[in-house]
Amino acid sequence: MTTLINEDQRDCYQEITNIAMGQAADRLARLLNVYVILPIPKVNMISASELHMALADTTINDNVSAVCQGFIASGIAGEALLIFNDASFSDLAKLMNYKGPLDRHGELELLMDVSSVLIGACIQGIGDQFEISFNQGHPVVLGQHCHVDDLVKSGNHQWSQTLAIEIHYEIENMNINCDLLLLFTEDSVAKINQQIDYLLD
Amino acid sequence: MIIQGFRLLLKTINLKATQIMALPVLICDDSSFARKQMKRALPDNWDIDLTFAGNGLEGIEAIRQGKGEVVFLDLTMPEMDGYGVLEIIRKEDLPAMVIVVSGDIQPDAQERVKKLGAMAFIKKPIDKEKATQILTEFGILSAAE
Amino acid sequence: MSNTKFEFAEMHWLMDVLQSIDVGLVILDRDYKIQLWNGFMENHSGLRPIEVQDKALFESFHDIPEKWFRQKAEPVFELKTRTFTIWEQRPYLFKFKNYRPITGRASTMYQNSSIIPLESADGSVNHICLIIYDVTDIAVNREDLTQANSHLAHLSQTDSLTQLYNRGFWEEEFQREHKRCIRSHNASCLVMFDIDHFKNVNDQYGHQAGDEVIRTLSSMVLQTARETDICGRYGGEEFAIMLVDTNASEATFFTERLRKKVAAMIVKTDEHEIQFTISSGVAEFSEDFTKHSQWIEAADKALYHAKENGRNRTTVYQSK
Repeated sequence: MTTLINEDQRDCYQEITNIAMGQAADRLARLLNVYVILPIPKVNMISASELHMALADTTINDNVSAVCQGFIASGIAGEALLIFNDASFSDLAKLMNYKGPLDRHGELELLMDVSSVLIGACIQGIGDQFEISFNQGHPVVLGQHCHVDDLVKSGNHQWSQTLAIEIHYEIENMNINCDLLLLFTEDSVAKINQQIDYLLD
Repeated sequence: MIIQGFRLLLKTINLKATQIMALPVLICDDSSFARKQMKRALPDNWDIDLTFAGNGLEGIEAIRQGKGEVVFLDLTMPEMDGYGVLEIIRKEDLPAMVIVVSGDIQPDAQERVKKLGAMAFIKKPIDKEKATQILTEFGILSAAE
Repeated sequence: MSNTKFEFAEMHWLMDVLQSIDVGLVILDRDYKIQLWNGFMENHSGLRPIEVQDKALFESFHDIPEKWFRQKAEPVFELKTRTFTIWEQRPYLFKFKNYRPITGRASTMYQNSSIIPLESADGSVNHICLIIYDVTDIAVNREDLTQANSHLAHLSQTDSLTQLYNRGFWEEEFQREHKRCIRSHNASCLVMFDIDHFKNVNDQYGHQAGDEVIRTLSSMVLQTARETDICGRYGGEEFAIMLVDTNASEATFFTERLRKKVAAMIVKTDEHEIQFTISSGVAEFSEDFTKHSQWIEAADKALYHAKENGRNRTTVYQSK
């Protein structure tokens, strides 16, 4: 069985994400004292094989560092992946007032600080709109200084389809680029669709 | 600031003159879901002539045709975004009172739209309470309604 | 049971659970003073709640770097967002002993932590909750795995006799360097050298003595080369060194130094004292080397030339 989303539902996902990512951007903006440029999020049902393509789309050739965090509530479960272009760290360190050496460990600190805020706020923003409160697992470092292909092991996935929401964050006048990918399990999509149909009604 | 206030006042007078007819209200948002939510948030017994626009260009067109004396405007949209709409309204001095309804709630975004002449800023998601409060605050909705 | 009684009992159960749950719970106020300290924290720290109550966290626990911790906790107060720390950042916040002090291999407990906002009735956040998780097993396993992987990588890259890179890995590294040269136009030199009349060493003194000669020569190469140079065993008695950011005259200086040291050296085995010499070919990177194999050919040609001209010498490749 393949779960599909219709145009109305896609639009709804987009709008809900838009609000949640706006809240996340607001927190990041306050934390860093910058303006975050907000794009229109991309919403798609993708298969396991397409996940790699979606990831590869996010960055061009550059080395990346990424963290991943699971979340769950009321039968809706998913993961948030935050992928940073490695070139972003020097500007990020300036904004975060990070004084230590910008080595692997320094970058990990920055990655964790930003992901806590961005992922946390986004997940909370989505939860608020459905009137649920997500539990968040601990963040896991998927890799540092690696190619985007190596972030997620291919093959042997327990799932065939996932709802992927891609958000590209950029910070005005700064060389800071990151992608937040929200992935929902297939059975969650059915649950969310119910909620959305209720909202659309 | 004074000039802006004056302009708003003029617009309000303009508005009062046409109040005999239903008030032309425009909802400009690329998301049909957001447009629906916005419509639902409007006060129940408000006598208005409602128009929808799916992006900034459509929005401007509707305003030029006099369909948007009150505009609920989204910021993040394809074709032309909310900032673009505000700029044109100012440049052409179009008779529109704009209430920005946005998910982008960064302090900078709020400041920018105010500078561009928006009357108010409402955080998404919108609800009836917020909408009524703003409309009353600016005298668009009288206590009788 | 009446309602109030039931609620009271429920409260009591909850407190019992918080007290005995195997996770650390600490509530801090706006000044980072400890307001709640559950059983896990008490038992692992040896400090009773009464001993830490209302004490500033950083005063009671000097291991927690104040500036670092505030950076994680301030957004929780200010932005009402959760934040997290993982053991990869700092192995622990509180220096507790490993839960398995006898069979466990780590001496301290690895910890992940979550910091969550606690909202007051008016919606402001004046307290935060710090939750401490014991992740020692995960951390130790992960570190074992990383170590095993790097050991495997070393094994697959290294020639066991000489501890130089094996041919496969050397070529990979060389190709990368070749690409870098094409991009950067920096001078780099490839040196190929081998042992003169090595067959005679084997025939005269046996293969074990031959191995000893190769081993000794290799350790001399490692001592002579810089850390950035890429040294590999290319074949039986043939070696290749990529001298990074080095021009032909500097490379010749290097090979001549090595050649003289080798010529002066005596390899002692149980029965014999062996002396030997080496011949080297040097090829500096040229734009003509569009493929890395062309560069190797050039160095090989220079080496051949050194052999033809009487061995125990260095020849630099000259393009026509």
